Amino acid sequence: MGSMTLYVEKNSLIHHLDPLVKLLYVAASIALTYILPEPLFIAGVLFITFLLLVVGKVFRNSLPIVALSMVLIFSLVIVQGFFHPDNATELFAIGPVVFYEEGLTVALGLVLRVLVMVGAFSVLILTTRPDEMVERLIKKGMSPKIGHVILSVLQLIPQMRATMGKITDAQRSRGMETEGKLLVRIKAFFPLIGPVVLNSLNETKERSIALEMRGFDAPGKKTFLNEEKIYPYNKQFAGMLVIIILLAIVWRVIG
Amino acid sequence: MSTIEVENLKYRYPDTTKLVLNDLNFSVEKGECLGIIGENTAGKSTLCYALAGLVPHFYKGAYGGKVTVNGLVVRDHEIATIVENIGLVFENPFSQMTGAKQTVYEEVAFGLENMGLVRQEMHTRIEKYLKLLAVYSVKDKNPFDLSGGQMQRVAIASVLAMEPEVLILDEPTSQLDPQGSQEVFEVIEELTKGGMTIILVEHKMDKIAQYADRVLLLHEGRQVDLDTPENIFSRGDLTDFGLTPPVVTTIAKALGIQYPGTKLYPVTIEEFKRLGEDK
Amino acid sequence: MKTFTVREVDFSYSPIIPIFQGLTIDFDSRTTALVGQNGAGKTTLVKLMKGLLKPDKGELLVDGKSISEQTAAQLAKRMGLVFQNPNDQVFKTNVLDEVMFGPLNIGFSKREAEKQAMNALRKVALESKVAENPYDLSLSERKLIALASILAMDTEMVIFDEPTMGQDFAGKEKIKAIIQELKAEGKLVICILHDMDFAAEVFERTIVLNQGKVILDDETREVFSEKEVLEKAFLEQPSVSQIAHALGFEKSFIHEAELIQFLKDVQRLNPDLS
Ligand SMILES: Nc1ncnc2c1ncn2[C@@H]1O[C@H](COP(=O)(O)OP(=O)(O)OP(=O)(O)O)[C@@H](O)[C@H]1O
Ligand SMILES: Nc1ncnc2c1ncn2[C@@H]1O[C@H](COP(=O)(O)OP(=O)(O)OP(=O)(O)O)[C@@H](O)[C@H]1O
Ligand SMILES: [Mg+2]
Ligand SMILES: [Mg+2]
Repeated sequence: MGSMTLYVEKNSLIHHLDPLVKLLYVAASIALTYILPEPLFIAGVLFITFLLLVVGKVFRNSLPIVALSMVLIFSLVIVQGFFHPDNATELFAIGPVVFYEEGLTVALGLVLRVLVMVGAFSVLILTTRPDEMVERLIKKGMSPKIGHVILSVLQLIPQMRATMGKITDAQRSRGMETEGKLLVRIKAFFPLIGPVVLNSLNETKERSIALEMRGFDAPGKKTFLNEEKIYPYNKQFAGMLVIIILLAIVWRVIG
Repeated sequence: MSTIEVENLKYRYPDTTKLVLNDLNFSVEKGECLGIIGENTAGKSTLCYALAGLVPHFYKGAYGGKVTVNGLVVRDHEIATIVENIGLVFENPFSQMTGAKQTVYEEVAFGLENMGLVRQEMHTRIEKYLKLLAVYSVKDKNPFDLSGGQMQRVAIASVLAMEPEVLILDEPTSQLDPQGSQEVFEVIEELTKGGMTIILVEHKMDKIAQYADRVLLLHEGRQVDLDTPENIFSRGDLTDFGLTPPVVTTIAKALGIQYPGTKLYPVTIEEFKRLGEDK
Repeated sequence: MKTFTVREVDFSYSPIIPIFQGLTIDFDSRTTALVGQNGAGKTTLVKLMKGLLKPDKGELLVDGKSISEQTAAQLAKRMGLVFQNPNDQVFKTNVLDEVMFGPLNIGFSKREAEKQAMNALRKVALESKVAENPYDLSLSERKLIALASILAMDTEMVIFDEPTMGQDFAGKEKIKAIIQELKAEGKLVICILHDMDFAAEVFERTIVLNQGKVILDDETREVFSEKEVLEKAFLEQPSVSQIAHALGFEKSFIHEAELIQFLKDVQRLNPDLS
C-alpha cells in the first residue's frame, strides 16, 4: 500500500507556504500566460515555476508528471504544426510533411503554456498535504461538499498507483510475470489497465462512503486538530502575485 | 419510542432479483445490545447498511418499509444528518479508512473535526480510544501501512471516538487476536452500561451469548427469531440455518445439563458451571 | 518430502523498526497453524515466503534450494497464497475468469483451467456464482472465491492467510475439508489463524509468533496446553480447555468430543459431584 497522496514530505520554504498562496500562484501563472502570450514571456514564467520546484526539493518528483503531459504536448505540436490556418511560411519538411513557422510558433506557445500549468500544479500538489489544503479552504468558508470533491480528485492518481501495486501483486502471485526485462513489463502493463480502472472506481466509491460516514458533509461547524499554522509572509506573497497580475494587465492594455 | 424501529423492511440490490432483506420487524431499546447472527449471505451486512442509511441512500435498489433511528426516518434524511448519532464499523476495516489523513492519530481525529469538537477534547478522546484498542503505539503510522488486525482496531477506535448514540458493529473482531477481541467485547459491555445502543453482527456465538441482550436470527433475508440468547441457542433446528450454538451449549446438550423445568440450555460458562454444580 | 525453510531471515519495512531478526523456521509435511498477536509479522512472513517481499538478509529454501533467484511469478507454479484481504486479491469482474486466471498463467490449457476452476469452486460450494461479479458478493463469499482461485492452481504448497475470517460454521467445515484433502494429497499446508478452536482441531503442528520471534513450535496439543505462554502472546486456549479450567479441571483439551467424553466419565464416576 503506501500513502494515498502525491505529496512529498520535505522541509523547504515552499512546503511552509500557505496552500492558498500556492493556489493563487497556480491561478496567477496560468492567467499570465494568457495575458501576455509571447513565448519568451511564458518561458520566463515557466523558468520561475521550475525554480520553485527546485527550491521545494521536488523537481525530480515532478518529472514523471511532466513526462506524462509530454504525450499531450507532442500531439499539440503535430496538429498545430500541420494544420494551423495561418500557415504560410514554410520552415522545413520531413519527407512529405511540411512544417510552417506560424503553426510552430503557436504550437510552441501552447507547449510552454501546458508546461506552466503542469509545473504550477506540481508545485502545489507535491509540496502541499491535501488535507492541509482542504482544511485551509474549508476554513475560508468553502463548502465541505466541494472539499470532498477536491480530496477525491487529489486522491485519484495515488489511489491508482496503490491499486496498481495491489493488482500487480495479485497477478504475479498467480503466475503472471511482471518483473524483469522491459518487454515483460510492457506486456504485463496492458492486462493491468482494465482492472486498475475498475478497482479505482470501486475504491473511490469506498473512500467516499468512508468520508461520508464520518460526517464529512455534516452541516455543523468543523474544528481542526492541528493548530492553525503561521504562514510566513502570507500577505506579502499574495499581494505580490496580485500586483504582478495587475502590472501584466496594464502592460497588455497600454503596450 | 424505541431507539431503533424497523417496520416491514424489504430491500433488493439494484439489478438483482432476490430480496436480501425480506420483511423485517423489530425494535431496539436505548442501552440494549442486539446481536445479529445468520449464515454467510443471510443479509447481516445489508441490514447494517439499512440501519445506517447507506441503504437506500448509497445502495439504491428496491426499498420498502420504514427504519427509524433516534426518531429520524432513515429514508427521508441525508446520510450527513443520520451519522450525527449513528456510528458504523464496517466488516472490512479497509473500507473505513478515509485516505484523507496521513497518520492513524489524524485518521481518528477526522470524525471529531467534522463534529466540531474543541481541540483539547479531541486529543483526550483520540488518546483514550487508541489506548483502549491497543494501537497507540502505531499512532504515527500511515493507516494503510498497518497489519489487518491493527487496521481493524483503528477502524473501531475511529468510530468509538465519535461516541455515537447508536453503534453498529459488523463483525468487528474478525481479524483480531483472541485477547484483542475479548477486549473489544468488554468495551461493548461498558458502552451499553453507559446507555449506548449497540447492534453487533458476529459469527462468534459464544461472544454473542455472553454480550448480547437479545439475538436476531436471520436466514435468507428473513427474520427467523428474535429472543434471548438462551432461547435462540437452545433451538433444536439451528443447523437448518447454518449455525451452531456456543461450545458450552453443545457440551451442555451432550451432558443433558439444562435449566430445571425448561427446555433451555446454558449459553455461558458461568451458567454451565452453576447448573452443573446444582445437578 | 516437501520442505520450506526460512533461515536467518532479517526483514523490515522501514529501517528503524525491524520486523524479523534472524528468524528461522522449518516447515515440513505436517499441516501447520501459524498464530500470533496482531502485528506479530505473520502476513509479512508469508509474503516473504511467496516472494512478494524480499528479505534484507537470510535465505528461503524450497526442498533445500534457495528461491532468491526466482520471481514471484515463477514461484507461483509451486506455491499458492490466499491473501488476508480478499479485496487485495480479486481483480476480475467475473468469478470464473478470476478463478481461471492462475491456472491459465501456469500452463494449463483453457479446457483444463476451466475444469480446475469449476472443481475448486465446487469445493467452496460457489459453483452457482460463476457468472457473477465478485464485487457484488458478500465479503465471506469473496474470501472463498480468493481461496478457490488458489486451489485451482493445484500447487504443491498452499498458504492461507486467515481463511476462516468471516466464515460461518458451514464455511469453516468446507475449509477444514479442503485442508484435510490437501494433506492427503501430500501437499504442504500452512495456515495463519486467529481462531484457536479451529487451529487446535485441524492442525498437526502449531507455531506461535510473537513480535517477530517464534516462541512456541510443537505438536498442536502441546502448544495449546501452554496456557501462560499463550496468554503472554495475547492468545488463548481453545474454548474446550477454557471450559474445562472453569470447571476446575487441570487437563487441557483440543477437541469438543474429548471434553464431552471426559465430562461424561466424571459424571459416571462421581454421580454426586460435578
Ligand atoms: N453490492 C451488491 N450488489 C448485489 N448483491 C449484493 C451486493 N452486496 C451483497 N449482495 C448480496 O446480498 C446478499 C447478502 O449479503 P450480505 O453482505 O448482507 O450478507 P452477510 O449476511 O453480511 O454475509 P457475510 O456473513 O458473508 O458477511 C448476498 O447474497 C450477496 O451476494
Ligand atoms: N506495508 C507496510 N508498511 C509498513 N509497515 C507495515 C506494512 N505492513 C505491515 N507493517 C507492520 O509490520 C508489522 C507486522 O505486520 P503483519 O501484517 O505481518 O502482521 P500480522 O501478524 O499479519 O498481523 P494481523 O494478525 O493483524 O494480520 C506490523 O507492526 C505492521 O504495522
Ligand atoms: Mg457481512
Ligand atoms: Mg496478517
